[in-house]
Amino acid sequence: MSDALRYDDVTFTYPDTETPALAAVDVSVPEGAFALAIGPTGAGKSTFLRAANGLVPHFTGGTFSGRVTVAGRDTLSEPPRRLADAVAFVPQDAAASFVVDRVEDELAYGMENLGVDPRLMRRRVEEMLDLLDLASLRDRSVRTLSGGERQRVAIGAALAAGPDLLVLDEPTSQLDPQGAENVMAALQRLVHDHGITVLLAEHRLERVAGWVDLAFGVEQGRVRSGSPAEVIRSLAVGPPVAELGRALGWDPLPLTVRDARDVVRTMAVPSHPVLATREAPGEVLAEVRGLDLSYDRTPALRGVDLDLRAGEVVALMGRNGAGKSSLLRVIAGVQHADAGLVHTNGHGPRPGVDVALCPQESDSVLFSDSVALEIRATLAARDASDVEPWLDALDITELAAVHPRDLSAGQRLLVATAAIAATGAPILLLDEPTRGLDPAAKGRLTRFVRAHAASGGAVVVATHDVELAAGVASRVVMLAAGEVIADGDPAVVLGDSRVFAPQMTRVFGPGWLTPEQVVEALA
Amino acid sequence: MTDRARPAIHPVAWIAWVSAASLISLSTTDPVYLLLLWATAWFVYQAQRIPGPMARSFRMFLAAGVITVVLRTALVLFTPVGSRDVLFALLEGLRLGTLLVLFGTFNAVTDPFGLVRLAPKHFHEPALATALALSITPRTVASVGKVREAQRLRGLSTGGLRSLPALVVPVLERGIEEAGTLAESMDARGHGRGPRTRYRPERWSTASLAVVGAAAVGAAAFVATAVTARVPLHPATDPLALSSPDPVLLGAIALLALPGLMPGGADR
Repeated sequence: MSDALRYDDVTFTYPDTETPALAAVDVSVPEGAFALAIGPTGAGKSTFLRAANGLVPHFTGGTFSGRVTVAGRDTLSEPPRRLADAVAFVPQDAAASFVVDRVEDELAYGMENLGVDPRLMRRRVEEMLDLLDLASLRDRSVRTLSGGERQRVAIGAALAAGPDLLVLDEPTSQLDPQGAENVMAALQRLVHDHGITVLLAEHRLERVAGWVDLAFGVEQGRVRSGSPAEVIRSLAVGPPVAELGRALGWDPLPLTVRDARDVVRTMAVPSHPVLATREAPGEVLAEVRGLDLSYDRTPALRGVDLDLRAGEVVALMGRNGAGKSSLLRVIAGVQHADAGLVHTNGHGPRPGVDVALCPQESDSVLFSDSVALEIRATLAARDASDVEPWLDALDITELAAVHPRDLSAGQRLLVATAAIAATGAPILLLDEPTRGLDPAAKGRLTRFVRAHAASGGAVVVATHDVELAAGVASRVVMLAAGEVIADGDPAVVLGDSRVFAPQMTRVFGPGWLTPEQVVEALA
Repeated sequence: MTDRARPAIHPVAWIAWVSAASLISLSTTDPVYLLLLWATAWFVYQAQRIPGPMARSFRMFLAAGVITVVLRTALVLFTPVGSRDVLFALLEGLRLGTLLVLFGTFNAVTDPFGLVRLAPKHFHEPALATALALSITPRTVASVGKVREAQRLRGLSTGGLRSLPALVVPVLERGIEEAGTLAESMDARGHGRGPRTRYRPERWSTASLAVVGAAAVGAAAFVATAVTARVPLHPATDPLALSSPDPVLLGAIALLALPGLMPGGADR
């Protein structure tokens, strides 16, 4: 079988840096593979992917040696636009990659550039609309789509030009669990039924590990290939089932819920989980009553009631567009509701005093020249100056002198969280805090969230990440179409959900949330 | 409305509409007609706007229209002149404001990239560049809003010169980053690779033809009135003497409201 993509001893260094971002990379992706690149943030995953169609080095500059070939064509001698018929690239920020406005036109844009015959173009657009289930969106403006819809349009627009290789950078990071499932299913259909080769990078392994048949482990610019199980074992990361398998010494390592169930069937497991003993929540810090909100005649929130108590970590869940961000913004006092009220300490919420919110686009927070100055800017507004505790709280002390621009997206998110938390507000709201976070950074954030709640604060985390919710939340609130449809203990709310159940629940049944809990029960 | 082939009104029909409406507002200073044009623009905007950032920028145009009226009048108030000149300035300002609001509607109901495909082949590059530049303005407005909100959430003040870096730096960095992603994406999708072809052209519908026809008749009525001086189009301002509105001209403006009666953008 020939290779769709080949790296021959590729070493690449970005301009103005010394350590190579890719070091002697010598791997290949065979035709028809469904491949996954795994590795911590800043390890070189994006560089690895962007070298596939020559964006690296044509758009970045830097020193490049070795050879990358796509279907036998050298990326050095042919710039990305000449390779557009062979390889398509979907960047992490799909929204920023859209060129025209209407979905249908966006699908046609690449083909227009390639000079595809208008009659064929017309047919291909219709095929893409069907293949990715976009027919109902054809006339919509791409700016008004939900995250999942945008991702599917970006994939369709990339595919319409008829490439044999599709490269995607974190295609599910903005999606709810079902949306992620749909995108992975669409990709698998492309691989199985249409002979397309797919290479993608992703941190949330529980969403992708079961789908792929080849993996690349990326660490400090070095890339090794192997079966997904081998690579996950060697990188000491993995979906919760793999973590469990590693802790219990299972071989081979399970990658999917199904793999794990096969093992579990042969062993004795305690039938009832040891429920985590939780401190009774403290006094009410915020009271939310009867919130209604609509944008442009579309309701976003409908009659939402909620109490936030000291010591609580609330996971706010629900599909894309369910109203999670709207609710956080109303609680934070930066969005006025049409009806209803929010009370903190007996008055309306004062942003930055009673309530602090780290927005989804957390980069909009950062403006200073170093991480320490960033936190100092927040502290200065309330006449405080002690930066160290906040650096310490998020475990970013070693980044204190670095310019935020030079950090990875995940690190910037931690810095933005620290800058927001430094307001000292007791109620902390985090909107999608784990987008693009590798497991190590996620661990830091989790510890910080727990500590904040333990010191008498309350945290609300709006998230699509069911494993995060299972690990950190003391309560789960589920929103659908702007209404609260469930509010209670994570073991109960996540336990009886088909879509939001964490992997341990799927393997062992309701009540089981994290691998640690299972390991403890078996010990 | 899931599978309708294309928006009902052709971009060229919108160009005809905004040209006709502008011509009318330039031919008169009668506040009755001008205010009716504001109402027409609002009505058409409500029915036909394309959801998204461009539609949101209509409010900016509306605000700019009101500010124009106020400024134009205020400029005269500070000079030693009589009420005659103030009234005159007010009507002049109202006329300029009308133009702004009409363009706000045009902006909100057309897809700038739909206009790109109307450009002759050789002008594709500059037309695309212009459309991209136009689409950046509302996105920047949205971005400024987000950044201000983020700084408020940190308890930082959002007014005054000292808070400027906190606003400008993230907006610019974000803008530069998005521009970089867009440039890469365009290249990766074969932009500038060689001869291009064109996806299917916009279709002309009866609705579009009706809009063009109505706009042409409406503008013609005003132009004919201006040429023949049948009824006054510029009211006397010393003292203000409004003649009773002419039914033909009222009907002419009503014709421009036609797109507002058609199924449109908001339900997509």
